[in-house]
Amino acid sequence: MPADPTLDVDLAAVTDESRKLSASIQPRSGPWDVIVVGSGAAGGMTAFQLAMAGIKVLMLEAGRMIDHRKEYRTMEWPYQSPRRFRMPPDHRPIAVAEYNFLDRPYGNNPAYDKYKKVTSYAGNTFTRNWVVNEKEHPTTGTQYSWVRARVLGGKTNFWGRGALRYGPLQFKAASHDGYDVDWPISYEDVSPYYDKVDVLLGCSGTKEGLMQVPDGIFQRPVKLNCVEVHFKRAIAKMGRHYIPGRAGVTTDGLLNSKYRARCMGRGRCGRGCDIGAAFHSPTALVYPARDSGNLTIRPYSVVSEVLLDAGTGRAAGVRVIDANTREVMDFKAKVVVLGAGTLDSTRILLNSKSARHPAGLGNSSGLLGCYLSEHLMGPRGSGFIPVRIGTEPTLDDGRPVGPYIPRFRNVTDKHPDFIRGYHFQGGGGAYEYPGMAHDLPGFGKAFKSSVRKYYPAMISIGGFGEVLPRKENRVSLDAVVKDAWGIPVLRFDFRFGDNDLKMAKDMADSAEEMLKAAGAEAIKIERDPLPEGWSIHEIGTARMGDDPKTSVTDKFCRLHDVSNVYLADAAPFVSGGTQNTTWSILAMCWRTMDHLKERMRVGDV
Amino acid sequence: MTTRAVSRRAALRRIGAGAGALTLLPFLSDEGLAAFVHIQGTKAAPSLKVLSPSQYATLEALVEAIIPADERSPGAREARVADYFDLVLSEAQPSLKEEWLAGLAAFDAEATRRFGKPFLRLDAGQVEALLTDVSRFEAVKTKPEETAREVTRYDQPTQKPVLVEGLLGDVSRFDPDRPRPPLEAFFATTKRATIHGYYTSEIGIHKELRYKGNQILAEFQGCLTQDGKDCPHCGQKA
Ligand SMILES: Cc1cc2nc3c(=O)[nH]c(=O)nc-3n(C[C@H](O)[C@H](O)[C@H](O)COP(=O)(O)OP(=O)(O)OC[C@H]3O[C@@H](n4cnc5c(N)ncnc54)[C@H](O)[C@@H]3O)c2cc1C
Ligand code: SF4
Repeated sequence: MPADPTLDVDLAAVTDESRKLSASIQPRSGPWDVIVVGSGAAGGMTAFQLAMAGIKVLMLEAGRMIDHRKEYRTMEWPYQSPRRFRMPPDHRPIAVAEYNFLDRPYGNNPAYDKYKKVTSYAGNTFTRNWVVNEKEHPTTGTQYSWVRARVLGGKTNFWGRGALRYGPLQFKAASHDGYDVDWPISYEDVSPYYDKVDVLLGCSGTKEGLMQVPDGIFQRPVKLNCVEVHFKRAIAKMGRHYIPGRAGVTTDGLLNSKYRARCMGRGRCGRGCDIGAAFHSPTALVYPARDSGNLTIRPYSVVSEVLLDAGTGRAAGVRVIDANTREVMDFKAKVVVLGAGTLDSTRILLNSKSARHPAGLGNSSGLLGCYLSEHLMGPRGSGFIPVRIGTEPTLDDGRPVGPYIPRFRNVTDKHPDFIRGYHFQGGGGAYEYPGMAHDLPGFGKAFKSSVRKYYPAMISIGGFGEVLPRKENRVSLDAVVKDAWGIPVLRFDFRFGDNDLKMAKDMADSAEEMLKAAGAEAIKIERDPLPEGWSIHEIGTARMGDDPKTSVTDKFCRLHDVSNVYLADAAPFVSGGTQNTTWSILAMCWRTMDHLKERMRVGDV
Repeated sequence: MTTRAVSRRAALRRIGAGAGALTLLPFLSDEGLAAFVHIQGTKAAPSLKVLSPSQYATLEALVEAIIPADERSPGAREARVADYFDLVLSEAQPSLKEEWLAGLAAFDAEATRRFGKPFLRLDAGQVEALLTDVSRFEAVKTKPEETAREVTRYDQPTQKPVLVEGLLGDVSRFDPDRPRPPLEAFFATTKRATIHGYYTSEIGIHKELRYKGNQILAEFQGCLTQDGKDCPHCGQKA
């Protein structure tokens, strides 16, 4: 068997560059005004905003640099690899059923001994060099499929590009249904920042005038294919919308970036978009920030805690463990911004213990780690749309996202069984791999022709439901288990609640109802929730609020307890709506940075 | 073709507006394709890692019976699905490999028991009869009607930890099949892997499915009703 070129992405140059970079940047290499931890959506936007404003920034990233030219393998065909996109034999992603039944830490299972790398379910041949090894990054407590990527850009390198805004219904959810609390800010506070993000990064979509998911400043929308138009017409009769997906992708091009070209419709964005049409933090934010000359990036820098200046009571900097050399060093700056991804930022704070903050930094309320929320996924439906059964396939997947059904529950009406709501994502048509063939019976010519008969007609929609924020859904530091760098790991106490599961049932029912309304054949409904964490939309654990007794940060994502520590990711979010989180992380982060820049301008830090 | 494909060169030119853009585009070059591995398309003899020549021959006949050549496109044999299997098996956990090889032997033994000759020498009618029997379970609904079922999650009895190992590794979804008799299990696994091997091959993707994507597009067109026309692909009116 010849060597498999697709399994041999040569990373020697980029790891070498990363090592050299990290060796060259030492605590004395400063000074820096601001330290930012992480380089994903949050870290990238932080660095961009500050560096462009002339502020000296040190970015500490736990992973290596990325060689996006080599690593975004956008247009590869499966047959270019004899392994057909399977992982190398010593790599193994955790299967969905395993999450539910294996003990934690997942990577410790003896049956996994034979694998060098065990990844979360999001590990595949394109992402395996970015997604962390569960053996080095254990978790304990209840089951949770926590996807983490440690590399420049974090999870934005392979995110799903669904770019949605929270609206009044999310920021003031409690006013709407009486549950929990409102955010301390309103849509009016954030909408100018969503606008700026749309313009800076490019967002594709259609104006729909729906308050549950407000319109943005959109570039040209992606179109629907034939089965989707049929489905749209059918559910319109039920008063439901099926709209082009809103994509964090530039479809018209951006005048402001030399790293990004407009979308060319290959539809392989989840592997990283090699022309930079899709938003990925490195090409969209980090490289431009670096070009300003104000950003220093130190890869392989695992931040273990925020350091406190005992005299002033403010943060002095952060402690770093070099991921390669294990050397421990302290970096100093006037301000610390955490953008390590919701749960890792909270973990760093929990681990920042001192006499003054025995339960972790910013935890005087005792609420750090609490109110973890995300989206419940799993209930979904699929079927075949008759207008395309037996027709010749058309080009149906040459676009960055499929269509979207905005939330329709508890917007103007009131569902008897649950509060809040859910949306659906998903489309149909002829995708490269005919996954539906696995559901068709038989063999021989009859089987083969049934695959081709149904191939262009497939449609599939999956729900994303708001998991109610609850105090008891929380993370804390495990007392015993540590990661490969000796840092205590997160222990999850997270379960879906009654409201969430009732909503899940309705998600499946309404998927069925809509597919039936569209006259779909061979309707298949899946009702079970996927494991907790599956949505990769973690929010909360350091929620914002006006009262330091009931919240961790103020309305500018700054710790109530320590005035020069900010959170740039989704940790301060109060509730998560049905919307995917990234566009809100970007907008909120920009807003936070405007606040910080102003404080720095007036000499307040 | 109604899709407006742009040539690679034109796309490069278009994107080339930004400084340094060319270096951003390694996969638009022919570099990756030049390294293309000839597992199918070549008529070269197999270089087997696990299967014996006779196992290979039996498997070729079996995968071809599952997805045969027809008037539209070649079948699993020409797509070299048996070679793909050989590679999959060579990397599978030893227990899985043994299980599957035992399945193949049992399958052959069943052919001999019923027709007095190994699978390879069965005529078309006999192959049809044998596969009809081992695939009969597919038509039977294995799960009860679920529509009315409430979602219960945390009050289920705790189950024994399971480890989901499949021949296909990361591409296989969790196999919900109930435990089945060995021949049925063998058929289910083999069919799943045949589907995967065939529809990820050049023949499967381009000749059989006539998949049109993964190319550089000026614009995604979609259903023409959106441009105020009657759509020739689906017959829907504007
Ligand atoms: C397959 C997939 C599909 C998705 N689809 C969508 C979608 O359609 N829409 C959407 O809105 N969102 C989607 N998401 C989620 C999206 O990727 C995240 O919301 C987003 O990346 C979060 O940005 P972040 O900066 O908070 O965290 P990340 O992107 O995770 O970045 C965190 C960074 O911090 C670094 N870091 C962590 N710990 C430390 C430490 N101790 N020291 C130093 N550095 C550290 C990490 O290495 C990483 O680079 C998807 C995610 C995945 C994986
Ligand atoms: S569809 Fe657009 S965004 Fe996605 S990979 Fe292709 S060019 Fe990039």
